[in-house]
Amino acid sequence: MRVATDIGGTFTDLVYLDQNGKIGHAKSDTTPPHFEKGVLGVLEKSGVSYEEVDSFIHGSTVIINALTERKGVKTGLITTKGFRDVLEIARGNRPDLFNIRYQKPVPFVPRYLRLEVDERINYKGKVISALSSENVKAAVEQLRKEGVEAIAVSFLHAYTNPEHEKAAVAIIREIWPEVAVTASHEVTKEWREYERTSTTVLNSYVKPIAATYIDKLDKQLNGTGMRANQYIMQSNSGTTTFAQAKDTPIHMVESGPVAGIFGAAILGKMLGEENIIAFDIGGTTAKCSLVESGEVKVTTDYKIEHDERNAGYPIKVPVVDIVEIGNGGGSIAWIDEAGSMKVGPQSAGAMPGPVAYGRGGVNPTTTDANLVTGRLSPKNFQNDVDMMAVRSAIQEKISSRLDVSVEEASLGIIRIANSNMLNALKLVSVRKGYDPREFSLVAFGGGGPMHALALARELGVKKVIIPVASSVFSAWGMLMTDLRHDYIQTFIRSMNELHLHDWNNQWTSMEEEARGQYEQVGIEADKVVFARFVDMRYVGQEHTVKVPVPSGVLDQNQAEEVIRRFHFLHEQHYSYQLANAQTEIVNLHLTALGAVQKPEIAKLTRTGNDTQKSLKEIRPVLYEGFGWLDTNVYDREELSAGSVIQGPAIVEESSSSTVMYPGQTLTVDEYGNLIINTEV
Amino acid sequence: MFDMKTNADRFTVEIVKDSLVAIGEEMFHTLSRTSMSPIIYEVRDFACGLTDAKGQILTQGNGLTGFIGMLSYMVKGVLEKFGEEGLRPGDIIIVNDPYSGGGSHLSDVGLVMPIHYDGELIGFSCNKAHWTEVGGKDPGSWTTDSTEIFQEGLQFPCVKLFNEGRVNEALVDMIRFNVRFPDLSIGDMWSQVAALRTGEKRFCELCDKYGKQVVMGSVEHLLKHGEQLSRKAIEKLPKGIFEAHGFIDNDGMGTGPIHVQVKVTITDEEFICDFRGSHPQVKGPINCSYTSLVSAVRTVFLAVTNPSQDVNDGVFSPLKVITDNRSIFSAERPAAVSTYFETQMFGADLVWKALAPVVPHRLTAGNLVSACCVILSGTHHDTNEPFLIVEPSAGGWGAGEGLDGVPGQFCIGDGETYNVPVEIAETRYGVMVEEYSLRADGAGAGEFRGGSGVVRAYRAMSDGQMLTASFERHNFLPWGYSGGRDGSRNEFIIEKANGEVAGPFGKYARFPLNKGDVVRLITATGGGYGDPLDRPWDKVVQDVKNGYISLKQAAEIYGVILDPVTFDVKETVPQRQK
Repeated sequence: MRVATDIGGTFTDLVYLDQNGKIGHAKSDTTPPHFEKGVLGVLEKSGVSYEEVDSFIHGSTVIINALTERKGVKTGLITTKGFRDVLEIARGNRPDLFNIRYQKPVPFVPRYLRLEVDERINYKGKVISALSSENVKAAVEQLRKEGVEAIAVSFLHAYTNPEHEKAAVAIIREIWPEVAVTASHEVTKEWREYERTSTTVLNSYVKPIAATYIDKLDKQLNGTGMRANQYIMQSNSGTTTFAQAKDTPIHMVESGPVAGIFGAAILGKMLGEENIIAFDIGGTTAKCSLVESGEVKVTTDYKIEHDERNAGYPIKVPVVDIVEIGNGGGSIAWIDEAGSMKVGPQSAGAMPGPVAYGRGGVNPTTTDANLVTGRLSPKNFQNDVDMMAVRSAIQEKISSRLDVSVEEASLGIIRIANSNMLNALKLVSVRKGYDPREFSLVAFGGGGPMHALALARELGVKKVIIPVASSVFSAWGMLMTDLRHDYIQTFIRSMNELHLHDWNNQWTSMEEEARGQYEQVGIEADKVVFARFVDMRYVGQEHTVKVPVPSGVLDQNQAEEVIRRFHFLHEQHYSYQLANAQTEIVNLHLTALGAVQKPEIAKLTRTGNDTQKSLKEIRPVLYEGFGWLDTNVYDREELSAGSVIQGPAIVEESSSSTVMYPGQTLTVDEYGNLIINTEV
Repeated sequence: MFDMKTNADRFTVEIVKDSLVAIGEEMFHTLSRTSMSPIIYEVRDFACGLTDAKGQILTQGNGLTGFIGMLSYMVKGVLEKFGEEGLRPGDIIIVNDPYSGGGSHLSDVGLVMPIHYDGELIGFSCNKAHWTEVGGKDPGSWTTDSTEIFQEGLQFPCVKLFNEGRVNEALVDMIRFNVRFPDLSIGDMWSQVAALRTGEKRFCELCDKYGKQVVMGSVEHLLKHGEQLSRKAIEKLPKGIFEAHGFIDNDGMGTGPIHVQVKVTITDEEFICDFRGSHPQVKGPINCSYTSLVSAVRTVFLAVTNPSQDVNDGVFSPLKVITDNRSIFSAERPAAVSTYFETQMFGADLVWKALAPVVPHRLTAGNLVSACCVILSGTHHDTNEPFLIVEPSAGGWGAGEGLDGVPGQFCIGDGETYNVPVEIAETRYGVMVEEYSLRADGAGAGEFRGGSGVVRAYRAMSDGQMLTASFERHNFLPWGYSGGRDGSRNEFIIEKANGEVAGPFGKYARFPLNKGDVVRLITATGGGYGDPLDRPWDKVVQDVKNGYISLKQAAEIYGVILDPVTFDVKETVPQRQK
């Protein structure tokens, strides 16, 4: 049996897949600061038998929380002489252009804990001046005196030659074995010293936190008698071992959201849909990502606390490319000073939450608007919803100020929220050169099913899929993962002057490193599946395009094919190609998958088109462009495989509902997924 | 609920308005992602926008603030020259005339494309980008010692680059033969064209979807909404007349210090910035065009009214900018203008300085002001290829009410501008970087401390390199206020391999560098805010420990005497104990 647990802000989710392919899930409260208790709680609640679990996969917000709440440890930095302020100067940019009081991100390591040592390597990886071990020792002693618990080591050009970093780490281990250490080349081998240093510092900052957390979890799981292989979910959409996660915990930073995107890709493969837009609406944000030919897209341009007004902190590790906007079920609708209505990015969150939750929320939210328009039912909430309170909040904060009815205002809130989300969906699709009509939309999270069908109509998406377990879909995605490591190496070479043996040697050594790493955790070399990509561009450009390249030894013909692929992909992304321009490689990117055996998912036993049985009620629902329509409401739990429903209709499940527009047709597939033809 | 004129409900109007704003951003990213020049993709020295049929800006995607006043004037210039009937679908007009039509200097090349729908002119797609090269007497096209426009590069006097979709090959050939790095300049031209077409396409798609009437109604709503936001903000500002004056170091050609001044009048309806009485235009290239000045003033106007709003021409309707003719802020042909940005930033600094005491919650003390731009050319020591660095330098910003100044940030005329990573610079250019650090000179003392300037040092790795740099604010310091001390100056020095030192300089054209010579670029620390004796002692201790201020400064300026080893407080001066 495989079990996945996903710790979120409010709930800890569990999904399991037993030997017969049966899927089950459970939810319990997240229990900060002793998160492992919540994991045990949800395991108990699910009723899985501990002895039967052979794989345990775990995702957690503990790393991102430690970062954003500044709950990591006191960290020191050792760096090249002349460059300790790189972390504070950062890139010098000011995204909030007209805000003269803009504040730069404050470095995680203050200046007095950033120490310099004599050493220098040039851009070709050649040592210009040797590492001063005396300097390193003195720096370590000073940091010890200051009481740091972790040290980051980041030297210029270590991406191309890490020997000085390795030597410095050896010295630190020798004279202070207890301190947590991270060298920059261990977390990223890409150029750009600020981004690499930032990544190294952040990894160091959370390393002791991760070790404590994972050790505790390990101990608790052992205590249950479970003897499963244990995996941690990473941001690259694959897993790693507990031991590796303790070394480079920074890879866990986006584990939860990424698992949902990966789940959408896997579900697509099961259903024969290779091109997917994954769309996840939660309480405060909506996230989306594009999956092409079954592959999630991974980038190293990730930043935390970054938005259009804040520079944030770069973390240059592979993270699934997700666009996130401040629009979710709890987003607050408000009127600006000149009388325009906006929705979000302020959110009522979980506390107090929407007015409907009855926890003291007074600001109208998207969820409240969905109630007034009949899209959500007050009966489908855990609390007794006070509809009077909901309506009067909208009346007071919106309707009275715009001189419209409560119903019109509610529909307006939904439309503006949809417009915001549509912009995010366009960012991952149209604006990157993809035609959404060639993609299917997989919608999940509490709000995904509610808004997906309106958005699909706008985008021209023909098919929408609401997966089974859509409210615990990240955990479902984790269940389907394999081990995965990404190896990215900056490797600046003009394609014209590419020495093939240079290329082949570099890949061979990266693959050897990968096999070695897998062997350490008991995966045999022949079980590791590689895929190669290069980040390429025209000489002089900054942005790169990721180009898949063949495995094995490359010959001249294949090298030319790589260039052709690049031209093609460049045109797709940026609308033109420069046939005669020189091209160059910036990074080599190797993904190494350690495939894990998984049982096949079983099909629903209920079959036949008997929708009448699952009809809960008929209620009026307000649709834009149609007005109030009497709408059939179905219970998802009761639907059989093969059921067909015509819109307008609503399919309800606990904590979510799928809102279908007139003209749309829904079919329940053999696994219980809702497949909607949008008729666009 | 329905707007009678457009027959659309107010939420539709809102949604179309948001879509228009998103188009500006999309155009911006299209240009950024396809450009071949660091000045575009790292410095973000460009802007993209849409205007209505009259040239009023509806949305502008900005990487920096410097173009905020130029695009609408540029489109209006095109309309004036060609008239509506002279503009056909597919036409693209190229313009860089500094003295009219939203010009700044020749390096900033504007493109304008009329957008037609159903045979009617409904708006314009436009952008303006800094080309790395437009020819002229020096590499990089701007310099500190030109004396007339003819030395500063190619001039595009508002002519058609495309006729109904067909490129004017003759013009492109002229460009190719008159600039030093034609691949960069012409590559960026194509990026600009791609962005214009994106804007046109999206604007027309909006009309397809919602109908032209609804879109036009939304345009009107958008402009009105912007104006209302500004008027509300002005209502909250203190009313009155606020004045400031200052000095620009010199024009690089022997004139200086150069007196400049402003009188800001804020009434219930208007926000007037009157620069009359400032110095007439000068011989050197620091002359600033009127629309460059307007950009600078608009930047500070937004900062004091509502820094977070979307930008359109409605927002600026309460703002008026007045100058004398042929002043340093309103240069006329054939004045040299290639380093206009130095003077432009003084325009911003003056309004800022005049208003800082009355809007302390929005404005901070004086800062580096200058973009501290550097041009370094030569050949790469390994590849023997020519290289050209054209980049601004980050420096210190001023402190303000409740906050210390920001260290190491580009000037107000820049924005989402990125420094070039050391590892990339050393790969691409014929230099090694000796140091990239905070200046930490303790200038700008105050209850809130000015942000540190930055030191960046390049060692030439080949013979025959050439340095041009313009570091204004060299002779006059960033101002502190409300009891805060002044900051420090911008300067650069050259340390030759043979031990000789040249400088410090504020401006220099074509300084020769040979292998092993080091140029040290040092930017200002910002001004302070409030009395240094009011800075809490524990912050002073941290400042010393972090090396932002010295033990001596802690004792003499902040009145906190520390143990030099443990940093324990030994005593504080009596004035602190008031």
